[in-house]
Amino acid sequence: MESMIHDMAERLFRNHVSHRLREDAAAGQCPEALWTLIEEAGLTMAMVPEEAGGFGVPAAEALGLVRISGAHGLPLPLAETLIANAVLASAGLAPPGGRLTIAEGAALRLERRGAAIHIRGPLTLVPFARWADRIVTVAALDGTDHVLSLPVKDLALAPGHDLAGMPRDDAEVDLALTEADARPLPRSIGGMRELGALIRSLAMAGAMETIVKMSVEYANDRVQFGRPIGKFQAIQHYLATMAGETAASRTAAEMAADSYDTPAFALTVAAAKSRSGEAAEKVGALAHQVHGAIGYTQEHALHHFTKRIWSWRDEFGTELDWTTELGRAALSSPRDTFWHFITDSTAQGTPA
Amino acid sequence: MTLTAFPPPPPGADYNELRQEVRAFLAEELADFPPEKRAKSWNGFSRDFSRKLAQRGWVGMTFPKEYGGHARSALERYVVSEELLAAGAPVISHWIADRQSGPLILAKGTEDQKRRIVPRIAAGELCFCIGMSEPDSGSDLAATRTIATEVEGGFRINGTKVWTTYAHVADYMILFCRTGKSDDRHGGMSQFLIDLKATPNIRISPIIDMGGEHHFNQVIFDDTFLPSDALLGEQGEGWSQVMSELAFERSGPERFLSSFALIEELIRLLRKEATEAQQAEIGRLSAHLMVLRQMSRSVAGMLNEGKNPALQAAIVKDLGALYEQDIPRLARSLVSRPAVPGGRDSYAAVLAYTELAVPSFSLRGGTREILRGIIARGLGLR
Repeated sequence: MESMIHDMAERLFRNHVSHRLREDAAAGQCPEALWTLIEEAGLTMAMVPEEAGGFGVPAAEALGLVRISGAHGLPLPLAETLIANAVLASAGLAPPGGRLTIAEGAALRLERRGAAIHIRGPLTLVPFARWADRIVTVAALDGTDHVLSLPVKDLALAPGHDLAGMPRDDAEVDLALTEADARPLPRSIGGMRELGALIRSLAMAGAMETIVKMSVEYANDRVQFGRPIGKFQAIQHYLATMAGETAASRTAAEMAADSYDTPAFALTVAAAKSRSGEAAEKVGALAHQVHGAIGYTQEHALHHFTKRIWSWRDEFGTELDWTTELGRAALSSPRDTFWHFITDSTAQGTPA
Repeated sequence: MTLTAFPPPPPGADYNELRQEVRAFLAEELADFPPEKRAKSWNGFSRDFSRKLAQRGWVGMTFPKEYGGHARSALERYVVSEELLAAGAPVISHWIADRQSGPLILAKGTEDQKRRIVPRIAAGELCFCIGMSEPDSGSDLAATRTIATEVEGGFRINGTKVWTTYAHVADYMILFCRTGKSDDRHGGMSQFLIDLKATPNIRISPIIDMGGEHHFNQVIFDDTFLPSDALLGEQGEGWSQVMSELAFERSGPERFLSSFALIEELIRLLRKEATEAQQAEIGRLSAHLMVLRQMSRSVAGMLNEGKNPALQAAIVKDLGALYEQDIPRLARSLVSRPAVPGGRDSYAAVLAYTELAVPSFSLRGGTREILRGIIARGLGLR
């Protein structure tokens, strides 16, 4: 896909996301200056419709930014902010600017108190919570999904991190929101779990593309037994396997992104998250095998990418969660045959 | 990195109306076709079925109308292909001609060849086989020894082809052989269009596979005379002509649906009752299938635009064969029923058939090793 916004992001990340920046971020330093550049470039508002002050980039294209940020191991919540702003806008809430993140809100209890909504309960392993201004989540009140925009300063945070050292914080919520920060969702665009799984699938695909590229370069450069190790058939087959798994992940993630806001979304996300999670295991393992001992060190960049894909595979539903869900749907489908279930699961609907 | 990018099939690629027509046709035609026959997948042979399919306009769909085709897109053809495979319809009689021989003749053939042959392919009347492998030339196609020597009025062919699927019933063969010497390993090769029923001095004998089935043959050319107009395409251009067929041959739904009858049998059993662990395995199988299908449809979209996505096709075939081959293992891990060849229980019979079929899936149409070499080079390994 030719895309100006993709080119812009690619350039920005290539110039600013270095091994050092990822190291510093893993040590706890939020790359504030880079965030300012990202916001100034308008990337965080890509999915917000023009009438709500955004850029109204088609979802599939805007979501391509998530794959690109994954390909660079971006240590900032761009994907989360992109989705949070889109969800807020769909509920008629103004995107507040700044860093946002998303969380599954299933454990929250909502109660109406006069004009306000009182919210109570835990949010676990929230990505980048302590670097974010707000956590955007969805929870039910009187059987209707509500979008909630929770100011992080009003929450009690317990810091934690993922395998790659990125903030993953638990938050205890006990506060009241007015209509300015809590609105019913007019239509379902998928819960935060689906949306989170979508962005993690896309980011995994991007990171795996980088891992394949790094592995090919290493196999071309590293000489043993008098020739580059890429001349050995065993290494070639590892790389071919990695490319196949990566291609499957990207196809799966883009299939889900293409069905954003359509009835096919739930099943394609389930397929995408479980397929890319499975690929993350193989691609990571083979990349380390190709790189040998140097790839197992802190100084080599490979670990920033393998740790990220191994973390992302567990977030917003593990492979077991998503395959169980997809399998249950397949086995209980009212369709005549399994084949009909498969063709309907990805159907784009009747062309206009 | 373009190799791992598979653009989505164009909008509207579902062709739901066409799909429903094909389903209705298959429900009627295959009403009494049992699971153990469906398990043969695209190896099932029925001239009658191919002819009926052609009467509906579903053979040679992408061929131009002036050659008996229907001028429909590669994606419409894709819908018909995958519905046939999912139903386990017996399609091999027209499959190879429809998939690659017809398109090759249309692309490289003379006007006379096109007019004589292509309309009969589109009518479902002609079965094609492909003469590529030899006793000493399997994965290493450039080691081909069969040679065509120019003589007055044509060529004399000498050599032996093996693993030639359905040569014993086929009407035509597209032969790949040497027509001259060349310093380039890939030079001096050509393709010929051979009327197997009308050409003397061709000896075809069966090679029975380990499942007891007769698909393969040995084909011996013993000073076989071919007229000059049997040459297909340019003399000496055989290698590049064969390479351009590969994306058609390697990316279709037959590269991941060959075990589909077993999947349907398995799901039929699990539909009544399934544990969470069983659900998860079916979910994994579903996810893989949804993704393979999307990748394969993506390649069909690229072919439709006139691109040559040979590398993406190699990826589809490599992943697809792994998937097809894994189905018996998966079935065994979920259901405890022994495989019984020809058994009365259709699950047991389909499992037995599929188990013996799967070793060939990563051999035919390019071995796993060849495909991975192609992919690795495509990645930029020096």
